[in-house]
Amino acid sequence: MRRVITALALALLVSVVFTPAVVAQDDAAPVTLRIGLTQDWETLNPTVGFAVSEYEIWNVHYATLTDKAADDFATIPGLAESWEESDGGLTYTYTLREGLMWSDGEPLTAEDVAWNINTARDQEWDNMISTVVNIEATVIDDRTVQLTSSVPDPKLPTMDVYLVPPHIWEPIATDYDSTTQYDALDGVGSGPFVISDFAKGQSVTMVANPNYWGWEGEEPPYDQIIFQLFENPDAMVAALQQSQLDAIHGFPAGSADALEADPDIEVIAGQQGGFDEIAINGGAVEGQPHPALLDVNVRRAISYAVDKEAVIEDLWFGLASPLETMSPGADTKWIPDISGDAAFTYDPERARQILDDAGYLDSDGDGVREMPDGSNPIVLRHAVNTDGDLAGPIGDLFKGWMEDIGIGVELESYDQDALFGVIVDGTYDTFFWGWVPFVDPDPMLSYFTEAELGNYNDANWFDPRFDELYLEQKEELDPDRRLEIVHEMLTILHDAAVYIPMYLGPDLQAYRTDTFEGWVRQPAEIGPVMFSNSSPSYAQLRPIGAGGGDGGGVNWLLIGGIVVVVAAGGAVLLSRRRSTADERE
Amino acid sequence: MTSLAMQRRKATAIRVWTQFRSSRQGMIGLAVLALFVLLALAAPLLADARELNPVFARSQGNPQWGTPGDFGPLGTDHIRRSVWAQFVWGSRVSLFVGLAATVLTIFIGSVIGIVSGFVGGKTDGVLMRITEWFLVIPFLPLAIVLASVLGRSVWNIIFVIGITSWPSTARLVRAQVLTVKQRLFVDRARSLGANGSHIVLHHILPNVSGLILANATLAVPISILTETTLAFLGLGDPSSASWGKTLEEAFVNGAIVRNAWWYFLPAGIGILAVVLAFTLIGRTLEEIANPRLSRQR
Repeated sequence: MRRVITALALALLVSVVFTPAVVAQDDAAPVTLRIGLTQDWETLNPTVGFAVSEYEIWNVHYATLTDKAADDFATIPGLAESWEESDGGLTYTYTLREGLMWSDGEPLTAEDVAWNINTARDQEWDNMISTVVNIEATVIDDRTVQLTSSVPDPKLPTMDVYLVPPHIWEPIATDYDSTTQYDALDGVGSGPFVISDFAKGQSVTMVANPNYWGWEGEEPPYDQIIFQLFENPDAMVAALQQSQLDAIHGFPAGSADALEADPDIEVIAGQQGGFDEIAINGGAVEGQPHPALLDVNVRRAISYAVDKEAVIEDLWFGLASPLETMSPGADTKWIPDISGDAAFTYDPERARQILDDAGYLDSDGDGVREMPDGSNPIVLRHAVNTDGDLAGPIGDLFKGWMEDIGIGVELESYDQDALFGVIVDGTYDTFFWGWVPFVDPDPMLSYFTEAELGNYNDANWFDPRFDELYLEQKEELDPDRRLEIVHEMLTILHDAAVYIPMYLGPDLQAYRTDTFEGWVRQPAEIGPVMFSNSSPSYAQLRPIGAGGGDGGGVNWLLIGGIVVVVAAGGAVLLSRRRSTADERE
Repeated sequence: MTSLAMQRRKATAIRVWTQFRSSRQGMIGLAVLALFVLLALAAPLLADARELNPVFARSQGNPQWGTPGDFGPLGTDHIRRSVWAQFVWGSRVSLFVGLAATVLTIFIGSVIGIVSGFVGGKTDGVLMRITEWFLVIPFLPLAIVLASVLGRSVWNIIFVIGITSWPSTARLVRAQVLTVKQRLFVDRARSLGANGSHIVLHHILPNVSGLILANATLAVPISILTETTLAFLGLGDPSSASWGKTLEEAFVNGAIVRNAWWYFLPAGIGILAVVLAFTLIGRTLEEIANPRLSRQR
């Protein structure tokens, strides 16, 4: 019996070491673009998902009414070929392209567009609501739809919400719960490729959509895309080097040099406003944090004790840049300049001083401070996202920074799905995660309003002034004034010290130059080639002749395997021994 | 307890020790184990615990990914921590979890085995069906599920290992109890009016304790390996630096691609050595407790 168990344990260990082996394609097989990534998918339902990996699938699966230019995110024709403004900017009339079809051959009409916008607004779909909240869609004819905003809307005419096929969704989407619980694996979309297979924890396969308007009546240039999940980023890097993948997203910064050395691999550090943060539980709703965190002085002290430079140097090898407050949009112009004494520059001495002055002293001499009345030692529950490649080391560093100023830290591990639940429940004190914002700052800003508490508000904090300004910027048509308002909002968030952005982190991506060509950076020159705001690459890529590499190089998998086998060798020996003892008894 | 019984037990202990001493494999195992126990006990003398703190390590100017040549004796990791400190302090966690989980395993297994074998009848049937049920559940998936449900602390890991690995001990002990139960001295005690608990404590237990001890020694390495496996799969206690966690961190943070052998080899060899030591000791004890094993070879 034990032997079976040990064999099973071995098999499991080895399967972890030898994370998904992608079988190289042969000539008869469909032409496949193979993308490696390290972030799992929780749901492919575009109304509620939140992970960057999920957005990537939707970017490919769903066309949008207006598209975003690859170069600068400018609003360009998508499903709509043109639009006209009237009523002083409150109303826009869009004309759809001729002969639009869903991937299953059903016509895609103005009716479909209007149903999406009105239903998303009425049922308050999480990922659409901030865009459509004030908008009413009216069908003029099959190819004409009119959007009317009840208030001035600086985002119009941009309308980039994912449009789901009503002929599939209408019977399902009867209310918020049934809509958001739908698995959305019907495979009907309007983008260049549509979902054909989803294995959670493994891969997503998407096949070419012959009805995609962007092909302009021609055959799709290649047959399918496979997004392959890797538990271990090094295994992913090795798979790219050995031509088992065409591109990878989110490789460890430490592998950049090795990848750059390969003449057939192009390395990209794509900037699109993405950042990582340590969030502090602000305690606005249920799930209370440690009481000390409700005092802004303690939160400020924590901010002063976080050494961002150390992280940028040791974990990003200088590829990231420091950040003082949240980055709400793809353009870094939205980030206010907070410097000098206003900034929380690493200074543990100052952090200790703030805590001393506020009365949080270590009264019993155990190295951990207590509340001013001497009770309740300050020990924080720091949630570590086991699906995040940097969350482990950042957790260790955070523990070190906090112990340095007399605050204890208990590390608690959660996978991505569990962590999202923990954040919603508020049963944490701090955690480390990141965001890739949208082009427009509105959705990211909405996440820190009172309305998003218990949902996307992962600071569990709100400020009435912030909420007021949020509504103000939402209706401000003067871009300069809107920028000012956003800057003021982000300064409020910064001073509340409830969200400690660490750095603007680039998306580290690499692609093979000998299999596909036509990769597009969004935005131009600085952006990533995939996992961007509208991911334009997939429709532009063309396969180059017959791909395939030699599969050579150092077989580190073997080395890893040997370590595991050696460590488990004793167990096999032992189990054999035990099983015979069992039999003889 | 009569002095006669005491004398007899003392004599048994001496006999076991004499036999053990004559076994080369047993003595090698004991020596290796003693070395690691010493290492664990002397951890505060051998390595500064602050070296486990990446912030302290950085403030000391430790190199990142330092080789054993750059930073003695075993180099540094991705966040500048001393690997030697991780190895020394990790031995404590690994040994502690291994031993504590074994105590739990052996306790559950022995109680169920003795009750099942001694009481017999329906009780035996029910207990053995439960045991078989645990035996047929794939061990690692169950441990993984339990570890993720219960949360990741050292005590939960111990609990998970204990609750998943007792069945073979229970079967082994039950079999031994069944043979001992048939022996004349048990009948004699019974006819003299001894009740069940007296017979179990004074006649059965002493006669199966050798087997339990041998079994326990063999259960320790399995517990250590299980802890390593769970930690390697990311299900260990994130706050305690066990060898399994060192392996996991080395793997996740790219030590293998970098050929940073000094990061993962010490922990790997440590696990191998301790597991081997316990196995050698356990085999020797098993042969002494159950001489048929050595005669048949």
